[in-house]
This record gives sequence, C-alpha cells and structure tokens, in this order.
Amino acid sequence: MSLLAAICKLWRSIAPRTPSDVEEEFRSTLHSYQEDLIRQGLPEEEARRRARIDLGRPAAQNENYRDAIGLCFFDELGGDIRYGLRALRRNPGFAAVAVLSLALGIGATTAMFSLIYAVLLHPFPYAGADRIVNAVLIDRQHPDEWSWFTVSKAQLDDLRLAAPVDSALGFNPSHMEITGGGLPEDISGVYLTENAGTFFGVRPLLGRNIEPSDAENGGHSVIVLNYRFWQRHFGGDPHIIGQTLEIDHAPYTIVGVMPRSFAFNDAAGVGDVYLPGSLMRGVSNVPSLEYLPWLKLRPHVTLAAANAALEPSVRQFFAKEHPERDRWRLALEPINWLFQEETGHTLTLLLAGVVLLLIIGCANCSILLLARGRTRQHELAIRSAIGASRWRIVRQLLVEAIVISSIGAVLGVAASYWLAKLPLLLSPDSFPAESVIRINAPVLAFSVALALLCGILFGLVPALRLSRYDSARMLPGRGVAAAPARHRWSVLIAAQVALTLLLMATAGTAIHGFLRLMQMPLGYDPANVMKLGIGLHIHDSGEWSRIQSREARTAYIEQLREKVASVPGVSTVAVAVDATPPDPGAKSSFTIDGTGDREQPQARVMLVSQRYFAALRIPLRQGRVWNTDENARGDFVAVVNHAFATRYLSLSHALGRQLRIPALTGQGRYAATSAQSTAWRQIIGVVSDARNDGVDRPVVPAIYVPYTTAMANCVQFFVRTQGDPLASLHSIRAAIASVASDQQISSGSFNGTFTLNEAIERDEQYSRQRLFSTLFGVFSAMALALALVGIFSVVAYSVAQRTTEFGVRLALGAPRAHVLWVAARIALVSAAAGIVIGLTLDSFLGAVLAHWMQNAFAAGSLFAAASLLALSAFLACLLPARHAIAVPPAEALRYE
Amino acid sequence: LTKPVELPQGTLEMLILKAISLGPLHGYGILLRIQQISGERLDILQGSFYTAIYRLERRGWIKGEWGESENNRRARFYSLTAAGTRQLKAETAKWTDMAAVVAGILDKKAEEI
Repeated sequence: MSLLAAICKLWRSIAPRTPSDVEEEFRSTLHSYQEDLIRQGLPEEEARRRARIDLGRPAAQNENYRDAIGLCFFDELGGDIRYGLRALRRNPGFAAVAVLSLALGIGATTAMFSLIYAVLLHPFPYAGADRIVNAVLIDRQHPDEWSWFTVSKAQLDDLRLAAPVDSALGFNPSHMEITGGGLPEDISGVYLTENAGTFFGVRPLLGRNIEPSDAENGGHSVIVLNYRFWQRHFGGDPHIIGQTLEIDHAPYTIVGVMPRSFAFNDAAGVGDVYLPGSLMRGVSNVPSLEYLPWLKLRPHVTLAAANAALEPSVRQFFAKEHPERDRWRLALEPINWLFQEETGHTLTLLLAGVVLLLIIGCANCSILLLARGRTRQHELAIRSAIGASRWRIVRQLLVEAIVISSIGAVLGVAASYWLAKLPLLLSPDSFPAESVIRINAPVLAFSVALALLCGILFGLVPALRLSRYDSARMLPGRGVAAAPARHRWSVLIAAQVALTLLLMATAGTAIHGFLRLMQMPLGYDPANVMKLGIGLHIHDSGEWSRIQSREARTAYIEQLREKVASVPGVSTVAVAVDATPPDPGAKSSFTIDGTGDREQPQARVMLVSQRYFAALRIPLRQGRVWNTDENARGDFVAVVNHAFATRYLSLSHALGRQLRIPALTGQGRYAATSAQSTAWRQIIGVVSDARNDGVDRPVVPAIYVPYTTAMANCVQFFVRTQGDPLASLHSIRAAIASVASDQQISSGSFNGTFTLNEAIERDEQYSRQRLFSTLFGVFSAMALALALVGIFSVVAYSVAQRTTEFGVRLALGAPRAHVLWVAARIALVSAAAGIVIGLTLDSFLGAVLAHWMQNAFAAGSLFAAASLLALSAFLACLLPARHAIAVPPAEALRYE
Repeated sequence: LTKPVELPQGTLEMLILKAISLGPLHGYGILLRIQQISGERLDILQGSFYTAIYRLERRGWIKGEWGESENNRRARFYSLTAAGTRQLKAETAKWTDMAAVVAGILDKKAEEI
C-alpha cells in the first residue's frame, strides 16, 4: 500500500493535473470564446468552427500540456517501445533469434553471477559473517599443512576476552543415536556454547535458538533442529516445538528449528541437531569435552593483528599438554577460505566463459540488426525526410534494441534459476552447503543492468550506422542500395568467430583433460567395490563393554566380515579404517632403521586388513602380505608402496628393512592399540602404486599396517562383488543383522558415497574437471550455434537484397560457382579472419589458461575446434548462398 | 484601425503574469484582459497561449484553483504566487532596460554618433 502511495505521489509530482482536469478547463475557455463570437453576431455553427480554429481541439490539449511540462519524452519513449514490440511481432523469426541469442548469454551470466554471489560474496547466513574466523594451526616448515585445534571452555573464555575478539563460539560435533523409536538412527549433533543464538544472529524458523539460560543447572535438555533434519525426520511438522526427542536414551525438548540457509557447518560436518554445550559433561559418550573455536573479530581488525594478539594465549594453552605444537603457528582464516581458493578460481573462469558467450550473443544481435536495418533504410529515410532528427532515430533504434534485450533478460533470468543449479549438481562438494542459490534483489539488479547494457552495446553500432543516411540519397532508389554496412558485418563476424574459437578451444582442452583423467590408470580397480561403514555400538554401555578390548573388538569385526563374505555374489571383503581411495589414510611421520630420529620423513599411513590389496586389486610386487595371525596381532609388520620403496629405500633391498610410526598411539576414549603399535615393524612386502592423493596427483609414499594395531569406534568394509555391489546391499544388511541385530551400517562418510566409483566422482579434481568440461562444452556449443546463426543470416539477408544483381550476373553469363562465391565471399573471408585471430588469441591466452585450469591447451583439441568451426562456418555461408543461383535470371530481373 | 503587433518569443509569459497580477483570472479572462490592455493590438489566440499557462504553473509562478466564472460556469482561476510576483518584477525591469537601450540606439541620428 505504501509503495502504491509513493508511486502515486511521485506521479503527481511529475504530472500534477489529470487529463480530464486539463480538458475541462480548455473546454470552458472554448465555450466562453464561442459565446463571445455569437454575441458579436456570428451564427452558432460558424462561432463553433472559429473557436476551434483559433484555440485548437480539446483532445489535443493534453498533449500540449504534457509537452509543456516536459513529459513528451516519456510519451515518445512509450511510442518507441510500442513500435519496437510491433516490429518484433512482424518479424517473428528475427525476434526469436535475437531474443534467444541474448537470453542464452544473459541467463548464463545471471546464473554465474548468482552463484558467485551465493558462494563468494554472501555464502553464510551469520551476522557479521565476514568477521568470523576459523582458528587453525599451520606448520612453520610446511605452510600447506594445517590442523584444527580444540580448546577448553576456560580457554575459549580467554580468547573471548582478547582485545581483537568480539565474541567466540565453541562447538563440538558428536555422533548420536535417536532411540525410543523402532530402529536406532544415527545422527550428528553439535554441542554449542550457549551464546550461539547471538553469535550466529540467525532468526530461527520456528521457536528459538540456544540461549545463555540453557546453561543453567548443568544445562537444560533442549535441542534445536537443522532444517533438513526437520524435513527428513519430522516431515517439516510445524507444531514440533515443545515435543520430545529421545537421543541416546535421554529425552530432549525441541525448542527451535533453524531456517534452510543455516547448516552449521561445512568444515566439521553439518549437524542434524544442536545442543547446549553444558550438557556434554553429563553425557557419557562424548569423545572430548573440548570445543573447536570460531571467533568473531571486532570490526576493522585485520587478520594479521588478530593473529599477533592471540598467538601468545594459544601458545600458553599448548605449552604443557602439546609441546610438539611448538613448530606451529596460529592462523585465523575467514570461514569461507576453503571455498574461496578453489571455487573462486573455478567460478572466475566460468564467469569469463559466460561473459564471452554474452558478447557473442550481443555481436549476433548487432549483426542481425545491421542486416535487417538495410531493409529498413526506406522507412528511416522517410522518417528523417518528414523531420525526425538523427538523435530521434538513434533513440528509436536503441529503444528497439533494449526491448529485445529486455525480453531476452526476462527469459534469461527465468532460465538462470535452473542454470545456476548445474554447477552444484556437477560438483557438489565445491560449494558451501549453506549457500542457497536464488534469484534475489542484487541478482535481479545485475540482470536488469546487464539487459540495458547489452541493448546499448549491440544496438548502438547499428543505430549510429543506420541513422546516417541522408534522405535525399535513399528515397528515390529503393532496391539498389549500395552496401556500405558490410564492413561492420565482417568485423562483427570475425570477432564472433574468434571468440567462439576461444571458447571451443577452452572446452576442447577441458574435455581433453577430463578424458585423460578418466583413462588414467588408478593403480586400483574401483569397479564393483562398495564401502560399508561399521560404527561400533558405543551408545549402549553394556554392548560396548563386551567389545571394548582390542581382541574382542577384532573378533567381532572379523565375525561380521566373514558373514558378509559368505553372502552370495560377494568375492572379497576387506577391513580398513579411513583408507578409502582416491584419498586414503592420513599423513604421518615415521623413522626408518639406520637413519637418525631427527629426520622426519612423511608417508600416508593406512590401517587395513590383509585382504585390502585383493579387494582393491592392488598388485603385490615384492615379498608378501601379512597373514591372518599377523593381522590379528597387529604389530611388527608393514607393507609399503612402490613410491615409498623408491623414495626412501633402495628397491632391491626394500624387504626386511625396519620402520616405526610414532603416531600409532590411538587417541580418544574409544581407542585400543596393540602392545607394540609404535615399535619397529619389518617391511615384508612392496605393492604397486595406487592413487592416494586424489585422482590427479602423483602417488605419495604409503605404509600399510594391520588395522588392529590402532582401533577406534568405527571401521569400513570394502566389499568386492561379482556384479553391481549395491544389488547385494540388502542381503549384506541381512547377514550383518544375523550377527548383531542392532549393528548399524552406513556409508561410512558424511558425503554419503557407497561405491568406490562414486568416491572418485566426489574427488575434487575429478568433479572440477567434469564441471569445466561439461559447462565449457555447453558454452561453446551455444557460442557455435550463435556464430553460425550470425553468419547464416548475414549471407541470407545479403542474398535477398542482391537478387537483382545476381540475376543480372547470371543473365550476363557468370558461372554459377562464381556467383556463389560472390554471395558467400564476405562472410567466408571474415569467418576465416576470425579463425586466424582466434588461433592467435588462443596462443596468447594458452599460458594464462594453463595456470587456471591446470591444463595446457592441447594442439589437437585446438585443431579440432578450428576445423569444426571452419566447416560449420562454410556450411552456414553456403546454404543461404545457394539461393543466389537458384533464382532463374528472368525472374530475378522482374523484381526491378 | 491600428496595426496588430506580433509578440517576440518569451514575452507572452510576461504578459500573462502582468495580467494576473491585477487580480485572479481564468484562462479566457487572461486572454481578454491582455487584448483589452493592449488595445486589441495583440493577437494571442493562435499558438501557445495555454502552453504558456501550463509552463508558468509548472514553474510555480502562478497557481490555479477551480471556481465559478461570471456566467456561472466552472472555470480555473489563476493567481500570482510570491515567486511569480518576484519574477514579474525582474522581467519587467529587464524588459524596460532592454527596450530603453534598443530605443536609445535606434533613436540616434547620424550627427550624434
């Protein structure tokens, strides 16, 4: 209502009097004048006529009024817009091509902008999100190695009181189980310090967030639900507040539901439920009572200043308990830094791609307008002859261009809603879970600005060009216009072709890289292997006590394993702890016999059972793999990979050497280690290299040790089956239930992959390459289509214009091939020039792209792109040019 | 009969201001008064009389209100605003100045130069 009132007020300030008001006043004057004339003796009819001649018609008075108060500009503009729309309706083919050319470009650009807005500019829903930082430790010697650290509640309070810190949040993610219903359900809970509500500053969808009062009396048993969990588990029940949810056999009251955009947090795993941190003390199965810190800095505090201010206190925290952290330094990082680095590059590159596409679309519209403009010269000449100024004609042509671009923008914005989701589908882990892609005010403003800009961009050249003809030259000779506009075409076509080639070469490179990645030997065989997460029962203290000892736990796992292995269709089952390729194990330092302790070489240490190599088909090169007894004992044996042997040992003397891994101590309250886990181990075998640092990076040295040497509360089974592994999932579940009815199995990782092939698809390099090759493939296909349409329409228009000329040529005996060449010449030459320019451009940009895409331009794909472009440009010229020779000369001449 | 006079551009607005300054008038009344004062020598019916009125109102120099005319017809009466009074004063001064200078030049005889 207030908006309407504001518009009314604005309108009244522009045009204070209504049309009827103006007209009534004029009529009144007219009437008085008429009466005077009658009094002077004129007959009534004559007086009426005279009055109208002298004063004007009442109907025209409003125009007069609007003109006088300066509104005629808007009137004319409205007229131009209506005229533009009519012109488009008369030429549906032209309109469709022009609008679609722009809709593609504007849609893709808007989609990319909304992604960039959501991911880079505004990824988090938290208040003051740009001031919230993660605290991590970075190794001084190896700056790319970093780790989280936890602090106690008291330490967190110390951090909170530091000068640069505005407030501090502590969180502790923990696995939980919903009980009380039928089957127990695994969920992830996050304990939050009770200032969470004010720290996040996010208004809950329902109820309230966690409040400081929840800390009273050792913590109130309340929980706040994540939106997705609320949807999944409660079906989005709007009356959920106040109900009770039983978690780990204790009741909790649901006090709030967070909005969809709140998914705290990506880095440590998104929580299903959020609980007051004070409850941790009273709950038996929280692995650690410490918090991971998030700090919100005061405004205008730089990261460097905050680092310097906080480093002494953090050092003090670790002085006693973790003296080894001496080598580390504190680094505060903005919470979206993980995404900014990699995804930022990706998005910038994609944005460059769509902007190219948009420019090509604009060039296309320019070409179309120029080509069509020649048929409009007559109309424009008449307008100019009856007094339209050049500015008036330019304005009309610009308005028509903007009408086209605005329709294109409307379609484009609608399309961008779906287009923006494409990168998320192709590369889900590259984007923060909390960034919701939507068309919002900044995005809309962006696309409106884009539409205007495009309209001016592609409309200006034709408008200036077409408005220049003087009427005297143009009016008499209607059909035999000279064709000076051709030069503009050829420049535009060359530019369009060059940019298209650039996009195609980029796409070719991306696709080439992706194909290479797909064909690269992995060193293991992911086909038909499925990963099952086995979370041991820690929630029930009775159950847990039975399998708490290392031996009992091993026996239990082996029992489950044997049962799964006996399922029909299953060929091999291996046990492992966090050793899922292509990114298995954890980096650890180790010592080899005969070298000093001072050197600290590093390798990936993988806790696996002896069947791991068979299940993943990693070939043995030397020696042997440990046997069942050695597997149960856990100590004294190790197998290394080829990269390890070549880097740290001499290949011929690898077997029999000794190494030890000090990190195999076991951490957390569920850890159980073998007696000699950190003692010397003999290298009994060398296996081939299997990708273990992502699919696209070289294999790093790896050490395999029996998983029983350091156990935690979960393991994974790698199940190789004869057919599709997911088909056996049901019988495997049954087999596991026959051993222990309440044993849960899960995907064993929070991103929900089951098969090893899916794990590859989730790989960062893999999904990035796939994203690039798919999107650039789509972009370049669009660009190619646009360029071809441009070439096609130029040739088609010019052939239509020059029918007479061709008829004369043919009548005078010109060979058909020559006429064909004359018709297609300009477009062919400019397309060829475009390809040459494009190739030059590519060789300049090659180095830049190689850096961004981690893939150099391949000469092969460049050549393929250029040939494809040349061939299709040739066809696009030839098809319409055929019409030039198809017309019989006599008929062509009759046009004259 | 006296010869009709054509108005230089821009002077119509000044005349309208002057006509209204003598008392509120409706559109036709302004026409009549200008003709009456000028001794029927100005023909301002043709052209842009109302355009001038609209422009003056737009600039805030005159303001219009609906009222009843002498022959009981609804009519819009215009009166001068404070800004209009100032404008009339300034324009009059300017015009008199200019007319004096131009007349002075035109009156000069050869021997006076």
